[in-house]
Amino acid sequence: MERIITRFVAALRESGIRVSPGETLDAVQALALAGMERRRLTRRLLRLTLVKNVNDIPVFNEVFNSFFSRFRSVAPDIDIPDLMNAATTNMEGEFNYLDQLPGDDHDDNAPLLKLDSDINPEDLAELKSLTEIDPDDTDGIEIVVQMKGYRGKANKAPRPTRRYTQNPLTIELNKGNSTAMGITFTPEEQIAMQDVVSRMMLRLRKDMKRMQNNQSRGKLHVIKTIQKNYRHDMVPFVVALRRKRRQKPRLVVLCDVSFSVSHASRFMLLLLHTLHNQMLDVRSFIFNREVAEITEMLANMPVNDLMETIDKGDIVDLDENSSFGQVFLSFKKKYLENLRGRPAFIILGDARNNYDEANDWVLDEMREKARYMLWLTPEERDTWMRGDCLMETYGSYCDKVEVVKTVEDLSMVVEDLLRDIYADVAHPLDKKRMREAKAAEVYDSKDYYTRGASGGSEPSFDPAGRSQW
Amino acid sequence: MITEQGVKDLLNTSGYIADDSIATAVFLAIHMEKPILIEGPPGVGKTGLAKALSSALDFPLVRLQCYEGIDEGKALYDWEYGKQLLYTQLLRTQLDTYLSVSADLREAVERLSAEESLFFSKNFLVQRPILRSFLSEKRSLLLIDEIDRSDDEFEALLLECLSDFQVSIPELGVIEAKRKPLTILTSNGTRMISDALRRRCLYLYIGYPELDREVAIVCAKFPDLCGNLAQQMVAFLRKARELNLRKPPSVSETLDWAQVLSIMKATQLTPEVVANTVGVIAKHQTDLQKVTDLAVQELS
Repeated sequence: MERIITRFVAALRESGIRVSPGETLDAVQALALAGMERRRLTRRLLRLTLVKNVNDIPVFNEVFNSFFSRFRSVAPDIDIPDLMNAATTNMEGEFNYLDQLPGDDHDDNAPLLKLDSDINPEDLAELKSLTEIDPDDTDGIEIVVQMKGYRGKANKAPRPTRRYTQNPLTIELNKGNSTAMGITFTPEEQIAMQDVVSRMMLRLRKDMKRMQNNQSRGKLHVIKTIQKNYRHDMVPFVVALRRKRRQKPRLVVLCDVSFSVSHASRFMLLLLHTLHNQMLDVRSFIFNREVAEITEMLANMPVNDLMETIDKGDIVDLDENSSFGQVFLSFKKKYLENLRGRPAFIILGDARNNYDEANDWVLDEMREKARYMLWLTPEERDTWMRGDCLMETYGSYCDKVEVVKTVEDLSMVVEDLLRDIYADVAHPLDKKRMREAKAAEVYDSKDYYTRGASGGSEPSFDPAGRSQW
Repeated sequence: MITEQGVKDLLNTSGYIADDSIATAVFLAIHMEKPILIEGPPGVGKTGLAKALSSALDFPLVRLQCYEGIDEGKALYDWEYGKQLLYTQLLRTQLDTYLSVSADLREAVERLSAEESLFFSKNFLVQRPILRSFLSEKRSLLLIDEIDRSDDEFEALLLECLSDFQVSIPELGVIEAKRKPLTILTSNGTRMISDALRRRCLYLYIGYPELDREVAIVCAKFPDLCGNLAQQMVAFLRKARELNLRKPPSVSETLDWAQVLSIMKATQLTPEVVANTVGVIAKHQTDLQKVTDLAVQELS
């Protein structure tokens, strides 16, 4: 039984579910307790002990069904010792697909697929191309090396694109496939985004918590201290401090949804959707030629429905040419006056104005209102001056212009921004610590837009200095 | 030795209709002495399961409600400073005579420190829920409710308690559980629980129940509704859950509604009845309208 369970666990791990040895032991113990006569009961037992996340349950069911159907479908004419042999090699991680193929009949791969549901078509294609190499054509050694490389794949770790891996997730924003698949998200994308965001939140939360604690630390609250220490005979063992009002960072996001940047903006929207209400007060706007607020919709609608609504052009007309100048003007008229506090602005767009009026003076007004202004563009720096792109003009009003190409980039940029906002309200002690950390960091200056002609100067964010302009 | 079916029957008698996976989870938790982590939407009977189990198995229920900022002083143990101070005050004369024998200050300090453990003994220890359930003479049921509301630090604190059923107190050493309590953790999934905690638990996801089970739940609590009306209202609520409401009605809403209908002595579900009682099912302004619309559409 232990053998079967370990093999099953290996199959689960291949499908991306993380199972620890301790959990395997639990499963064995549970099966010993309840027996494994009934299939449904066995499945429940294994699920309870091995799966620790709701999202993994469907995957588990799939693996369970395919794994245990193997035993059922074993035809009597198959050589049992052979099967056992294969099973043990599998256990030892030396399972070789090539060995399983009877003779040279490579087309007969249907049972192979069933044997391990985790082989994906690319692997199979690779497998085939490998056998198509004519041995006389190449050196024998090279083939051997390739085969070895392939064998290793049979027991490789879950692919990095799967969840739970520590490798950075990179989803290309600039890939053209997004046009073909429309504007809605696949479940994988949503999961990947959730993963990126939850890791980001973890990183952020640790630092922010301490900062918030320090932030709320105030002067001694004399009355409360006396009250609290009444039972200690007024000896102040427990100290009560006045609490300061906690500030929630405000963020205003303007997101271009025109066709040219739609693939980038949809990830931005998804990021916002996931971030929403977690630790931010976000107001989100989308624009093409007109501008509309979608804060409420982001909070209440499933993200795919919202994407479809946007895609249909129900919120802003998508058929028109995008015009940043127009957008800024109407944003100023409709919304700028009633934005509370000093929010941080994020603008996502390629700054391609279709030769319209630039209206860059609005940005100047926005900057006065803003705590911080950040422009995200999917375009490389060299193209900023080409054609109708006004990136240089607009960029000069922003604190920072960043090129984002992947979801990871995007989340890094937003994380940095959040840190900056929090830093603004941080305790002096924390500020000092962060300044030191920042000084130690090495900047890759080409990533940052340097304002004015003073080339090398780093536009590091200094909230105190900002207000003096 | 209690069997899986036995668990189910026991829960039935205390009014909790369990499905197979709940029964299996409880069965395993009892025999393997492992905590169960229950996740699911609010109101599907996560806390209810713990309460039903406690009455069915006759395990005293020890409940720990988690919140942001909960720490070991609230969950495990605390020292009773007041009592310690009071005792030193009251015992001052005894201490004086006890220490007066000593020749010099050094000896006095030595004598006093020899008795230090007196003031850090179980006498001055306040047992908080987790320690209380560990030290209970009878096997108890420890319910750690809404673990997702606590902070990461508290979760880390629980790791020792839940894997080894012991509490380390620096002044006293390690205190092991007399009887390992049956432990149930619940979470609404507002925050991801760390993998380390998940690994130490059996994982049970309770979703919305199937039609038959929900009807059975209603019938168990309100026998007078049993039959057509129960069937009708559960079917209606199941449709309401698909409406994409801000707060979908869960089992607790079903039971509240059943109670309301039972008080109103309703015999038939009509749009008017739904309109009058909609506040029991829908908890948001926008949801109210959607549910009444559904009633008009479905029931008339």
